[in-house]
Amino acid sequence: MKLSRHLRDNVRRLRAVYSDCSDVIFHELRIGGHTPAMLVFIEGMIMLEELDQQVIAPLRDGPGPGPSLEDVRSRTAVASIRTVSTLNELLDEIADGHPVLLVDGLEAALVYGLSHWEQRSVEEPTAESVLRGPREGFIESLRTNIAMLRRKIRSPKLKVITFRLGSQSRTPIAVIYMEGAAAPALVREVLSRLNRIEITDVLETAYIEEWIEDNRFSPFPQLLSTERPDVAASYLVEGHVVIMVEGTPTVLVAPATFFSLLQTPEDYYERYVVGTAIRWLRYFFFAISLLGPSLYVAVVTFHQEMIPTTLMLTMARSREQIPFTALMEAFLMETMFEALREAGARLPKQIGSAVSIVGALVIGQAAISAGIVSAPMVMVVAITGIASFMAPRYTIGIPIRLLRFPIMFLAGMMGLLGVILGVIAILIHLLQLRSFGVPYMSPLAPIQKHGLKDVLFRAPRWNLNRRS
Amino acid sequence: MIEKGKISSAQLGKMIYLAITPTAILTAPGISFNFARQDLWLSPLWAICGVIAVPLALGLNRLYPDCSPVQASRKIAGRIPGWVFAGANWLFYLYMSGIILREYGEFVVGAFLSETPLLIVLGSLVLVCAFAVRGGVEIVGRFAGLFLPAFLTLFLLIVLLIIPDLQITNMMPILPEGILPSLKGSLVLQIWFSELSIAWFLLPYVSDRENAKKSLWITFGGIILTLLLSNWVTLLLLGDLTGGYSFPFLILARYIDLAEFFTHLEALFMAIWVLGAFVKICVFFYVTVTGAAEWMGLRDYRPIVFPMALLLTLFGIWIAANFQEMTHAIATSLIPLALTMFILVPAILYAIGRLRGQGRQ
Repeated sequence: MKLSRHLRDNVRRLRAVYSDCSDVIFHELRIGGHTPAMLVFIEGMIMLEELDQQVIAPLRDGPGPGPSLEDVRSRTAVASIRTVSTLNELLDEIADGHPVLLVDGLEAALVYGLSHWEQRSVEEPTAESVLRGPREGFIESLRTNIAMLRRKIRSPKLKVITFRLGSQSRTPIAVIYMEGAAAPALVREVLSRLNRIEITDVLETAYIEEWIEDNRFSPFPQLLSTERPDVAASYLVEGHVVIMVEGTPTVLVAPATFFSLLQTPEDYYERYVVGTAIRWLRYFFFAISLLGPSLYVAVVTFHQEMIPTTLMLTMARSREQIPFTALMEAFLMETMFEALREAGARLPKQIGSAVSIVGALVIGQAAISAGIVSAPMVMVVAITGIASFMAPRYTIGIPIRLLRFPIMFLAGMMGLLGVILGVIAILIHLLQLRSFGVPYMSPLAPIQKHGLKDVLFRAPRWNLNRRS
Repeated sequence: MIEKGKISSAQLGKMIYLAITPTAILTAPGISFNFARQDLWLSPLWAICGVIAVPLALGLNRLYPDCSPVQASRKIAGRIPGWVFAGANWLFYLYMSGIILREYGEFVVGAFLSETPLLIVLGSLVLVCAFAVRGGVEIVGRFAGLFLPAFLTLFLLIVLLIIPDLQITNMMPILPEGILPSLKGSLVLQIWFSELSIAWFLLPYVSDRENAKKSLWITFGGIILTLLLSNWVTLLLLGDLTGGYSFPFLILARYIDLAEFFTHLEALFMAIWVLGAFVKICVFFYVTVTGAAEWMGLRDYRPIVFPMALLLTLFGIWIAANFQEMTHAIATSLIPLALTMFILVPAILYAIGRLRGQGRQ
């Protein structure tokens, strides 16, 4: 709807829209003491002092009548002034915390870029800490986040497309990519998928993540989420697309592959030999976190001959008193461990440590001496637990924790054969999965030679981007 | 064509390698030994059928490069003969898949899960294969690419760990009765070598067709080398006992004893074997299902994957009453059957095609 020439009509419409919104302020003033005008803004989202000094004072005290749009605009000392001419645009601007000025006799409104609200300072993201490397993390402000990226990549090729999503929340979204690095088809695909979303509110990136994934039923994350500007920047220069949402420090990177979810920024900050070794350690323990208890169950139940005799005797002795089968035991302990972990993550820090102590005692020492579980089982669960904490991203750790249970069941039913079949079944799924058209398991399957340099090794930097 | 996916020529090679070697390593030495005795290790060199099958598959594909064998055979031999060929073909592949499946089942039940019903062992693998086949040729191809390194590593690991126990005298005297015994011993191996002609069914999906020839020959060489190595190691370890075991290579894995900690690695062997059997059955089952779907004139093969999987499981059980019967069949009647369907019939088709002057343009 177009704005009217008459101030009275516009104000009446706005007041109707903002009925019962006590935080929306309508400030009346007369330009040059003559022409009626109205400043509309939301309390707490603007720089009040600046508005007083740079907008209200010069307008009120300036010379007399006959204000054209240009005239009003030039009287104020604000760097960012825009004009809007429809009611919907006006509402979006007000909601973003920009004071708007409506002047009688003008069909447009002036928008002053004086928004300001309280925000968290830039801190180190707790979920993705590093020993070496930048310690800043994204915050809840879209503008600050984009600026953080821009500070890392100062090239004009860094493109930022912003638009709003959510018919009700009208949340600003930014799609960021590097021109020349990102395939134009990928950027188009991301934008078209985002535009197809029919959603009322976007409060977190997770809200849109489920809309734009390739496979909506997979337990595996198909987009990489991070809170670190350096991670986002490194993916941008590699040709990925970053999606940001106002109000959350978590940004999405598309496309994501299985192996990109198993990388940490530190792989690239440490020396490459160390980086490669740590990466392999991580792959190994990632497999353990999926298969640890299942392998134990399979070996103890079906393949005792694989265990060296002396060890077998020790294990048999510790299992003698246990009333459960290895499978039952494993289920019990793993469920208990997952519960403990969840409890520890949700509780306040002070109580959290108490839970871990009690939990360690309950599922550790006490359970063994009470003869409910065997000591090797506790060890296996503990090792699996440690292994699962090594997953560098929480999102890739969850499906593995989940899939551990069916594989444990298969191991209890069919031994190693069951484990292998279970792994094959998971692999079938992973091999079919795509993230924005990119095979999830690439570059391993299908094999892309130059990509392997960054998966099987962490090739030294001078060799990493050489495509030969 | 019924399949939209594409594979690379390297994937084709890996698929075929994994579709042939695993079962050959497992069952062939035991059967070959009864003919070739200590010249067992030479038998894989007489890979006559492979020398025929590879050019045959390539030649047939050249007649109609982008047609599946069902379509191509119809174009080559006419509607009715083509229809007969396609029907016989998928039934044959179903039968072959059944044999492979049963070999796998007998191995698992015999060596590891002696109390698990055969049906469960067969059914669980077929289910997983059906999922993979539903994913299409691309998925099977990626699997092959992923598994081949694992397969080779585990295979070489077993060979490496057994070296201290090998006795070179087991292969002496070399060629006491000329080459004839090793030639006889290679007769059963011809089944596996003739399986190379399955490449015809996969070639239409290869995106870089110009490299397919090279890839197939490398695969062929790789298969010969692998069998040479596995037969040789088996012979050097077991000597005259080789013929007495159904799965000589499994005994190898069992024999390993390194520092008293790496003992009884047969589970490792089972891992190789299941991975191999999985790819092998996937490839054969894939050919069966797509062949059947095209033969029935379906537009998509996915709806019949699970019904066919059930049929395959049943075939796995119907194929023979027991393991001995099946081994006997493999050593006798399966050889002419396989040679007919893998080599002779495609060769006749190719001859007809060439005589009619097809594939020139």
